[in-house]
Amino acid sequence: MRVIGDIGPYCLTSDGLREGPCIKDQSEEESLGYGSFKFVYGPSAGGLLESVGFEITTYGESIEKINHLPYKGRQITLSGLTIGDALLRVERINGAFTASHSISFLQAIESALEIEVPHDVVISRMAQLELERIRNNLLVIQRVLESASFLVPSFLLLQQIEEVNRAIARSCGHRYFFGANYPGGVRCELKLPSLKISDIERTLENRIFIDRLQGNGVVKDSFSIGPVARASGFKYDARLDSDFLAYKDFDLRIPTQDQGDAFSRILVRLEEIKESLRLLQELKVKPCSFTMKIRDGEGIGRVESPSGDLAYLTRVRSGHVERTYLLAPSKVNMRLFLKSMPGNIFTDFPFNWESFGIWISELEVDLE
Amino acid sequence: MNWFIKGIRMGVKTEDDYHHETKWPSRLTRVKGGEITCPTDAIGEEWKQERCIFCRACEPVFLPTGETLTPRVERTDVTFKRSFYLYPLDAGSCGGCNLELRLISSPQYDMTRFGIFFTNTPKHADALLIMGNLGKRMEEVIRRAYDVMPSPKLVILLGTCAISGGVTGIPPDIRGDVIVPGCPPTPASILDALIKTKGGERE
Repeated sequence: MRVIGDIGPYCLTSDGLREGPCIKDQSEEESLGYGSFKFVYGPSAGGLLESVGFEITTYGESIEKINHLPYKGRQITLSGLTIGDALLRVERINGAFTASHSISFLQAIESALEIEVPHDVVISRMAQLELERIRNNLLVIQRVLESASFLVPSFLLLQQIEEVNRAIARSCGHRYFFGANYPGGVRCELKLPSLKISDIERTLENRIFIDRLQGNGVVKDSFSIGPVARASGFKYDARLDSDFLAYKDFDLRIPTQDQGDAFSRILVRLEEIKESLRLLQELKVKPCSFTMKIRDGEGIGRVESPSGDLAYLTRVRSGHVERTYLLAPSKVNMRLFLKSMPGNIFTDFPFNWESFGIWISELEVDLE
Repeated sequence: MNWFIKGIRMGVKTEDDYHHETKWPSRLTRVKGGEITCPTDAIGEEWKQERCIFCRACEPVFLPTGETLTPRVERTDVTFKRSFYLYPLDAGSCGGCNLELRLISSPQYDMTRFGIFFTNTPKHADALLIMGNLGKRMEEVIRRAYDVMPSPKLVILLGTCAISGGVTGIPPDIRGDVIVPGCPPTPASILDALIKTKGGERE
């Protein structure tokens, strides 16, 4: 059994729900000695893709302690909405992970309504998740390269990200999977992006680049998920224990590393891109629809988003969403990031931060 | 590996015409009669692109044409004609606008050939580019960023959340000189808007 993360008042594990929270809050407010001071990075700064604040405690060069300060949080109400209307909002919780959010949410609904989903829908959802994984992992590598001011490879990656976005638009009609899924079906076909993975691999052979990442932000925690877990030797992946999606039929290879540093996380993400591309070549995708039942119930849906397990726990009553809890992978990853930062110096910050692939949009959202 | 030589060997990836057919979001057109319930009231007498979240609820009464959405530019300044510096500010977005904005610097679009650049501080910015709904603690952040910008300065609202709120919240309380519709706006429509705003014509 592995612990995945908090979902509402519960703790989600690979065996199911148990009483939460997963980890008791250790709120020891130890103050540092003479000469230490705090300063705030963010909320709006050029180096950050999203608005977020960090309160950093330091004596000077090295980071002693770091806290997250929320700024851009939104409150989104799902309770009382029809499933379709709720899905519109779920799609807009995190634009970069829309396929993961909407598929996980729909799985929770289908599980609550006890609906058997057609095989074609399952395959189409897998294809969306893998396309999203490729796009996001390219983005994480690009962000790290940009932090290192490696501009030529960074632009090379941006070009490939745009290629993936265009492939997604050709496949599903929208570059971020908005409207690709709906209650009772999927609209996607599959048009593969043409990527040059060997170019990216050569980028990661650069010694100067490697030196910025190796030993930076080491975290080895059995309570971790996604690429962060896999970079520290834990073979955790929701795709291995998913009953909803048919990954077991495709002999999925899960790449791992054992250093647990920023470089390992980048290597894991690169290997995942290759594996996702292989998987996509085996998938036959076409639009498909099925009938939805009306029934009351509660269900959990869980997928492997590009940053790890993402789950919804949803209760449905007479065709309307009554209550929804979200387990956002960025929440688990933020805890690990904050844990990995002390002991590193300021210039390590952007590399380590970007290597986690955290999205503030899904982290700070309040679902009602 | 010499990245300079490698870059040259790759050849030119930049596209003369960067417009690509994307169905959603693109200009919608009514193809037949019928009643529709629009979640954002974008469909009344006519289709209002500033309110539309391109959710496909109006299919098949309305269909996408694939044409890039047109921005609304209410104010511009000749000072920006040669160089136009943008300060992106995420007020509370889903991240979609952030990514699409980032992609206008990709080689396919290459914003710098039009004299458009990002800056890391509002003190160097010609335009404040706001994305997303109004986040819980963002009101003061937006005001402070706007206040420290030198004049002349413009405000660009990017995406439906920032323009009219969409389905996820309310828009930031600031008047936009330029409105870029879309959920999220495609890089092509963002670049069209920026080129029009700085007063330069596409060559």
